[in-house]
Amino acid sequence: MKLLIGLVLFWAACPVAHAQATGYAGSAVCKTCHPDVWLNFYKNPHYRNLASGKAPVERSGCEGCHGPGKAHVEARGGKATIRAFSVMAPKQVLDGCLACHAKDLSRANIRRSSHTLAEVACTSCHSIHKSPVPKFLLAQKQTGLCYGCHSSVRAQFAMPFKHRVNEGFMNCTDCHNPHGAPAPTWRMASRPRMGELAAANEEACLKCHSDKRGPFAFEHPAVRVDGCETCHSPHGSANPRLLRRPVVFTLCLECHNGADSFGREADGITVQSPSHNMAQPRYQNCTTCHARIHGSNADPFFLR
Amino acid sequence: MRVNPIAILISAAATLAGQPPAAPTPAAVGTARGENVGGYNLTTAFETGYRFRAVDGNYGKYRSDVNYGNGLRLLSGSLTVHSREGRGGLFDEIVLSTLGLGNDPYQSSNLRVQKNRLYRYDFAWRLNEYYNPALPISFGEHAANTIRRLQDHDFVLFPQSSLRLFAGYSRNSQNGPALTTVQQFGSGNDEFPLFADVRRLRNEYRLGAEVLVMGVRLNILRGWDRFSDTTGATLGAASAGNNAGDLVTLASLRRAEPYGGSSPYWRATLGADHKLWAASGRFSYTDGFRRFYFDELASGTGRFGAAQNRQILVAGDGRRPVAAGNLTISLFPASRLTLTNHTAFHHARMEGDSVYREVNNATAFDNLLEFRFLGIRAISNLTDASFRAAKWATLYGGYHFSARRVRSRESETVGEFSDLRAAEQNNRLHAGLAGLRLNPAKPVRVSLDAEIGRADRPFYPVSEKNYHALGGRLQYKTKTLELAAASRANYNTNSVALAVHSSRARNHSLSGSWTPRDWLSLDAGYSKLHLDTVSGMAFFAAGLVEGQRSYYVSNLHAAHGGVRVAIRSRADLWLGYTRVQDTGDGRPAAAASSRGPDILAFRIAQVFPLSFESPMARFSMRLRGKLRWNAGYQHYRYGEEFFRQQNYRAHTGYTSVLWSF
Repeated sequence: MKLLIGLVLFWAACPVAHAQATGYAGSAVCKTCHPDVWLNFYKNPHYRNLASGKAPVERSGCEGCHGPGKAHVEARGGKATIRAFSVMAPKQVLDGCLACHAKDLSRANIRRSSHTLAEVACTSCHSIHKSPVPKFLLAQKQTGLCYGCHSSVRAQFAMPFKHRVNEGFMNCTDCHNPHGAPAPTWRMASRPRMGELAAANEEACLKCHSDKRGPFAFEHPAVRVDGCETCHSPHGSANPRLLRRPVVFTLCLECHNGADSFGREADGITVQSPSHNMAQPRYQNCTTCHARIHGSNADPFFLR
Repeated sequence: MRVNPIAILISAAATLAGQPPAAPTPAAVGTARGENVGGYNLTTAFETGYRFRAVDGNYGKYRSDVNYGNGLRLLSGSLTVHSREGRGGLFDEIVLSTLGLGNDPYQSSNLRVQKNRLYRYDFAWRLNEYYNPALPISFGEHAANTIRRLQDHDFVLFPQSSLRLFAGYSRNSQNGPALTTVQQFGSGNDEFPLFADVRRLRNEYRLGAEVLVMGVRLNILRGWDRFSDTTGATLGAASAGNNAGDLVTLASLRRAEPYGGSSPYWRATLGADHKLWAASGRFSYTDGFRRFYFDELASGTGRFGAAQNRQILVAGDGRRPVAAGNLTISLFPASRLTLTNHTAFHHARMEGDSVYREVNNATAFDNLLEFRFLGIRAISNLTDASFRAAKWATLYGGYHFSARRVRSRESETVGEFSDLRAAEQNNRLHAGLAGLRLNPAKPVRVSLDAEIGRADRPFYPVSEKNYHALGGRLQYKTKTLELAAASRANYNTNSVALAVHSSRARNHSLSGSWTPRDWLSLDAGYSKLHLDTVSGMAFFAAGLVEGQRSYYVSNLHAAHGGVRVAIRSRADLWLGYTRVQDTGDGRPAAAASSRGPDILAFRIAQVFPLSFESPMARFSMRLRGKLRWNAGYQHYRYGEEFFRQQNYRAHTGYTSVLWSF
């Protein structure tokens, strides 16, 4: 067993063999004409392979991404003689980056992500050489990046009730995977398609709101079947508690109307009790009595 | 070392794009920074100062929306240490950033330490003061004043090798006072406010490994997720309840309801990426359970004025094993064509046993044994194709199919009597997608997309059944100017014989940013978000009322604008403004609508017109090479049109010094 572990560790630590590739000039040549890029490149995560000196030339340094540079040097520059990302098609950019980054877990679904289908390539959000953000080489602060295209979402985060994204407490990537996520099966594979899942393919909301996660003895199917968005607008809302309606009773009654074919037994979701006279204000605040509406351990009607 | 002016501009634009509250000042605005110490380059920036605020109006609503207070703060901090050769001693990189430390309601700190090829450690800590007066909901009796603290630790050994080892720990706690309510001494009786001392804790431990063999990466993660809640509830003083008209009172109440549980999980992922194909698969299994106990002792008077006491004892457990997986296969038969198929399944079983025993002085009550099962199984298959027809045009299309089965079993046993109900419902969704991307000139991008879906048996009356969505976006982008216009519409009709649910959501937006000079940048945008829904309702009001409709109309207009001016590279001025306004359906007063159900409260609830605006200004001036003085001001005004008890105006601001090198 020790021998096996030793072999595995030795194999893992082994440097990748240098390939004698042709057409490469070496990264040291590049800094002659691109000193602005080279000056801070030691702070760039891509510098690691170069610093180690153990990665092959085609997988490290400038030519790891930009391809063989000999022709580019001999031509004294020009975008036609090297892989220039600024003139590449989105798919070419994606292929170039995925040559190294494909197998990371967070990018497992990037080929079918909505961003890829919309031709949002890696360089749309990442600035490899001039990132002002210390982590992930983002082209700008994350909210600025996302709001740049998702302007309606920006409007939602300007609402009185919102998750604290603009305040810096949260990031868009706490709930979303911009590289593509598995289909959200709890909503019939429908939208949203970029939700970052919690551990058990659950909604991202439950990563923080763990008290709503259960399991409860009495689950509210509204929470489990179609998810939190059935009642809440997660980005922001003019309504308290990010609800989809300004008052609770319309939210509840729009489902609890007894209409045929819905609910677990397909005979309608239960109409409220005859003892509730909705003309009286006391019955217009459903959660005053049904206080454990997300799920209860003690009461099937979520009273306690 | 010089700070790149482009980076400064990008950072400034980002600042305006997000328009966070007035602090902190972006560190990138400072002068050239960075010192070489030994083999390392070190940069640091710390901004400390004093916040102030003055609120006129509903202070509780201000705390709910904004919540900044007075006092000294470390508004922001950053530290970076980089090995200049990439071969440092114990580490090659340290990146630390902090926000709002001291006493801000939103605080965070992030740290990364790594040694190339050997290890990487990431730490994130966050704190959120959550305050909710909840005036319109539950009579304001579900308020909360809690603090949530989150922390995540992730350690990777050999981060660049073929074999990577992971360890992680996350902690999530929520503590603080809150209010809740309870209904006592029988169904339909009065409800009473209670104090709750919220004490929630969740700990997660992770261990994993990733190995790369012949181009295939296998990632396995094992997690242990443990949670507990020891929130208790008490009655502060004897209460007559919310409804003075009845005789129910509550003289005393004591409640304990601790629970604890665990959600251990496995996750395995496989991935491979080749020239002609790529595949990734993921499987996870979570075995969640909780055990609980509930003990409530109450005394008071019942609905007829007689003395009552009641003790409720509940014990049981809940279980939720969840298995989920997906497999994505992408094919690249030609450089212009990408075909992707994604298959996913999700299977959750939720079971709970609950033994309920009630003892009171009015009725004898046997043990009630209840069992609940809710099973959800969903399978999805999604196929998408993307074809680059020309350098300037790409087409894509897709077909998505999902099938979901929801099963339930409910049994109740009281003494000799037992009842069992079982049900099953199946829903299938077919959806088609199509899209077009055009790039007629380098700065111009046009995207159009459409989706149509048909579900045969959705679970809720408000779920998507017959829906379609249309979207379009036009973008013009150069190095100094970016203009965008977007429009999206979602329509859904979910109708059965007795009730109809119809919703229309339309978003239109315009945005632009312009940086004509190094010292000037502008940013502005406008969004219109329209939503109207019609839903069938049935309820009791002196008898069953059917055939009623709930109308909800929201017409939200959101606008923002900002300008940044740099004055002779010595000072920077930002001015910004945001405004959100819901104009509702245009009615002048809450009750001034004849549309909707007969009950006035229903008609009033159909709209919620309000406005929320926030102008802001920031000024930053270089005092010396490494020192800047900053000041910021942000005003908030919240105003509801019909019910004004939550309205407020707030003045917030700060003054600070930023030290950086």
